[in-house]
Amino acid sequence: MENIYIIIPILLPILAGALLFFFPIKDRKRRNIAVESLVIVNSAISLGILWAGSKESLILFELYKNVSLLFRIDGLGMLFGTIVSTLWPLATLYAFEYMTHETRENTFFAFYTMTYGVSLGIAYAGNMMTMYLFYELLTLVTIPLVMHTMIPRARRAGRQYAYYSIGGAAFAFTSLIFITVYGEGASFAIGGVMDHTLVDDNILRLIYVMAFLGFGVKAAVFPLHGWLISASVAPTPVTALLHAVAVVKAGVFAVLRLTYYCYGTEILKGSWAQDIVMGIAMFTVVYGSTMAVKEVHFKRRLAYSTISNLSYILMAATLMSPLGMIAAMCHMVAHAIGKICAFFVSGSVMFKTGYHFIPALDGVGHQMKKTFLTFTVSAMSLTGIPLTIGFISKWRIAKAAFAGETLLSYGVVIVLFYAALMAAIYMFTVVIRAFCPEKGKERLIGGDTTDPTWRMLIPLGVFAAAMIVLGVHSGPLLDFLEQVAAGSI
Amino acid sequence: MQGNILLGLTVGWPFAAALLCYLTGRFSKRMRNYAADLSILLELLLFASLAVQVWQGETVTFEAAGICSLGICFVLDGFRALFGLLSAFLWLMSALMSNEYMKHERNRNRYYMFLLFTLGATMGVFLSADLYTTFIFFEIMSFTSYVWVAQNETPQALDAASTYLGIAVVGGLILLMGLFMLHHLLGTLRIDELYEAGKKAWTEDSGQIYTAGALILLGFGAKAGMFPLHVWMPKAHTVSPAPASVLLSGILTKAGLFGILSVSCNIFRYDPWWGTAVLLLGMVTMTLGAVLAVFAVNLKRTLACSSMSQIGFVLIGLGMAGLLGEENQLAVRGIVLHMMNHSLFKLVLFLAAGVVFMNLEELELNQIRGFGRRKPFLQLAFLSGALGIGGIPLFSGYVSKTLLHESIVEYIHEGGTVLGSTGFTSFVELLFLFCGGLTVAYMIKLYHALFRNRHPVRQKEFEEQYRNYANPMTKLTLLLSGAVIPVLGILPGVTMERIADSTGTFFAVHPLEHEIAYFSFVNLKGAVISVAVGCLVYFLFIKKTVMVREAPGCYGYKNLWPVWLDLEKKVYVPALTKWLPSVCAGIFRIPDRLVDFIILTLKETLYRPLRLQTESEEAARISRAERIRGRMESHKWMTISLSFGFLMCCIGIVIMVLCVL
Repeated sequence: MENIYIIIPILLPILAGALLFFFPIKDRKRRNIAVESLVIVNSAISLGILWAGSKESLILFELYKNVSLLFRIDGLGMLFGTIVSTLWPLATLYAFEYMTHETRENTFFAFYTMTYGVSLGIAYAGNMMTMYLFYELLTLVTIPLVMHTMIPRARRAGRQYAYYSIGGAAFAFTSLIFITVYGEGASFAIGGVMDHTLVDDNILRLIYVMAFLGFGVKAAVFPLHGWLISASVAPTPVTALLHAVAVVKAGVFAVLRLTYYCYGTEILKGSWAQDIVMGIAMFTVVYGSTMAVKEVHFKRRLAYSTISNLSYILMAATLMSPLGMIAAMCHMVAHAIGKICAFFVSGSVMFKTGYHFIPALDGVGHQMKKTFLTFTVSAMSLTGIPLTIGFISKWRIAKAAFAGETLLSYGVVIVLFYAALMAAIYMFTVVIRAFCPEKGKERLIGGDTTDPTWRMLIPLGVFAAAMIVLGVHSGPLLDFLEQVAAGSI
Repeated sequence: MQGNILLGLTVGWPFAAALLCYLTGRFSKRMRNYAADLSILLELLLFASLAVQVWQGETVTFEAAGICSLGICFVLDGFRALFGLLSAFLWLMSALMSNEYMKHERNRNRYYMFLLFTLGATMGVFLSADLYTTFIFFEIMSFTSYVWVAQNETPQALDAASTYLGIAVVGGLILLMGLFMLHHLLGTLRIDELYEAGKKAWTEDSGQIYTAGALILLGFGAKAGMFPLHVWMPKAHTVSPAPASVLLSGILTKAGLFGILSVSCNIFRYDPWWGTAVLLLGMVTMTLGAVLAVFAVNLKRTLACSSMSQIGFVLIGLGMAGLLGEENQLAVRGIVLHMMNHSLFKLVLFLAAGVVFMNLEELELNQIRGFGRRKPFLQLAFLSGALGIGGIPLFSGYVSKTLLHESIVEYIHEGGTVLGSTGFTSFVELLFLFCGGLTVAYMIKLYHALFRNRHPVRQKEFEEQYRNYANPMTKLTLLLSGAVIPVLGILPGVTMERIADSTGTFFAVHPLEHEIAYFSFVNLKGAVISVAVGCLVYFLFIKKTVMVREAPGCYGYKNLWPVWLDLEKKVYVPALTKWLPSVCAGIFRIPDRLVDFIILTLKETLYRPLRLQTESEEAARISRAERIRGRMESHKWMTISLSFGFLMCCIGIVIMVLCVL
């Protein structure tokens, strides 16, 4: 128990959020300062613990034999934890300005802050039980955020989100039981924890597929993706975090945990279970990228793009090889930064101009130059153009796929190509519209709309810079990911 | 970082200089111009010093591991030195011309910055030692040169720019896929290792190598202006500033060709199928470009189509190099020299076009006709380029075209077949000569329009007011770039032969066994045929259909540009953004709502909450209490509830426990 401090960054935001909920701060400026400083302090603590803290496990308490609340920081957790801890303060900064247009800011920031703690809980969780607990908590704290505007569409979206999550939880719960019963110790370990002597491999595979679908709800795999699209009705800071960082990445994170840390690739690789999950992921990529091209609502287009990109990660993960895992984690980083940036740009456009649809964006790039410059960088990254992190991750996925040497893994490459082509279309049509308006629609050039203030621009600039820096100097990141995949961290 | 740091600097310096120029430009426009010119001059000198080392037989390499994950590496050999030098030279000319040309344009700081960025990227492409490096700089080049096309920010420019960007992105992705496959198949992307690595892979899986090759060809071909991804060329050249057109046409297309060459000469060395494919694409590109150029009535558009056509000539040479096998010296020399020549021709021709535009702000032949009358200096410069590109003896184009032609003739002599027939080989030769003729025809058209034709209204103004049509600096660039062409053409043995010799290592080509007599009767025959065809086409076709006689010595031009033949707007854009997604989306729409549907159906059927049967709300309010009471009394409500079930369970367990006890 000497490393009890691990739970500080988890509990601090949850408690603070609850306090804010019950004792709202009326003055906007004071609240903003309070929230931002809390989030920054928490991020500092969290990053400190992740990178310098103890790697020992902390058993908070035991519910039953083998069923305990256990926290432990390993490589994958470090990665997810770092993504969350770095992006949160920036997203919060952005939210301050954005939320001035919305109502009930206190409630919003209360839940927003609580989500931070819960997400970190998922990252720090050391066994399936703990992760499942925080995973479900995440659903609970994010529902109010989705429904925040309380317009009928938002409430419907919230309800849909709840239905899907509950359904997914049921599937995931089955797997939780199996892992707890048949996994010795049940603490995550690379290579899997299941005891094959106790149970037939095929049953394990079946349960794995069920769990994949269960956690796949949050990762928005094909038949279970509906909620993500509807949820784009939520305020942009939420969509950005739901769609880019916390919720969807938690889903992907859980699948990675399942595949590499619980069931182990040994029994899954080459089996029918791999074919099924990989098929689902591939189909989702094609589906998401196609629908994104067809969609004309800015945020919904990005949501479809998210569906497609999340399945890139899953596709790489289901290659069931260390290379695949590296590729998956690399794309996790790439997508997190690229997509949060793209969402924030869409939010800024809505905030400044009130336009929600892409055809209305003709010439906006000339008015909001800096904003759309960052969008161009994120478009490049999401398409996979060199000098951005997106290129590196796509290269890694293709490399892992070719190394797979099965027919299906060649399929991955074709899917990757199709999706990249579609990504180029759905991202660059926006860029082109913004900078090169269609004939007769140049009316926006020279209007009085300008870039948003520094509170919005700083996060955007940081994201754009991060995409390029990681793209050019990706050595340290890839080294780290290789160590994670090898299990040496 | 290993190797010669200077080589890395040739790539890095322009990037640094770009930022320097931008900062300088914030304070002084004049200083910025000098800074840009000077930094390009410095680049040229730096590069020349390295090139000298290479010609003395040293190998110069540079490697920076870890950049962009796989690391980048550069090498300098004869071929790379040639194109590096050529790039730096063209850039210098272009920058010198820009001083005057861009005087009245907006956003000049941006222009100069991206001019220099692109120089760095282009150097990166030409120096790259592996295809990964090539790809990275190729993409940077595509994106930075986008700014040139969009420079004017007019609707046409923006439209062309979006086409350019679209083709660049799509081409880049296709290329990337090809490289993925190649990397997997061969395990390396080092250009000098591709041949050895390829040998092993050929025995295993030739189908995949061809697929990878096709993707790479298409990807690099997009930038080279190769059919079918040529659509950006006529549009982009027309709207970009002339100094940028020089580079787009002169150098950037060559960067695309460089990529094609680097796979052709290694993995597909002596491969007849590859040769055939490239040959066919080359034929289509060459013919299409030439025909479009005949119909175009815009100065720069004609030149752009001409570029496309000339790239076709090079591709035919490349095809022949594949088909001829080990005896491909003529074809390879033809490729190198024609690439170089084309850069030089387009330099002078686009500069001349730039001079016209700078004065008149017009490019349509109808508006600019007669502008060149009484401007002998401009006329000479233009003529030098026109005669060069037309392949007239004593100008450098003649030498390279002869080599390309000779390679086809050689193949015919060997009894070589294309697509299984010797007749087709002869057809290639005929088409080659015919397109050579078309080149002559459209160059006569342009020459006539600028220097022989008369403007119905403004002729006097042209001749008197525009006497000072360019400042000395611009004239110097015209002089320098125009003079090179006859010098090379008159002394091919001293100049062009040596240049071709120095590039041999890149192509792994055997040295030439015998001297080529360029001015022998056999070789002159080809040129004569082309010129004859050209004159015939001009006098019998262009003069009759495209031109309309309005007054003695004054012809107008009819726009016969085939609008309906717009591949981009009619096929590519709808295919990618509408047809393909529509078909897929149509399929997806069915399962899309599947889960929602199931949830709703279940909610409405199996898991429907108990609801009271009411006719109207009014009735409900009255009867609700009664009905509930009624249910309660009948115990029905109790027995169907879940808690009742639990209660029963508990009772059962209690009874069981009691029994056991």
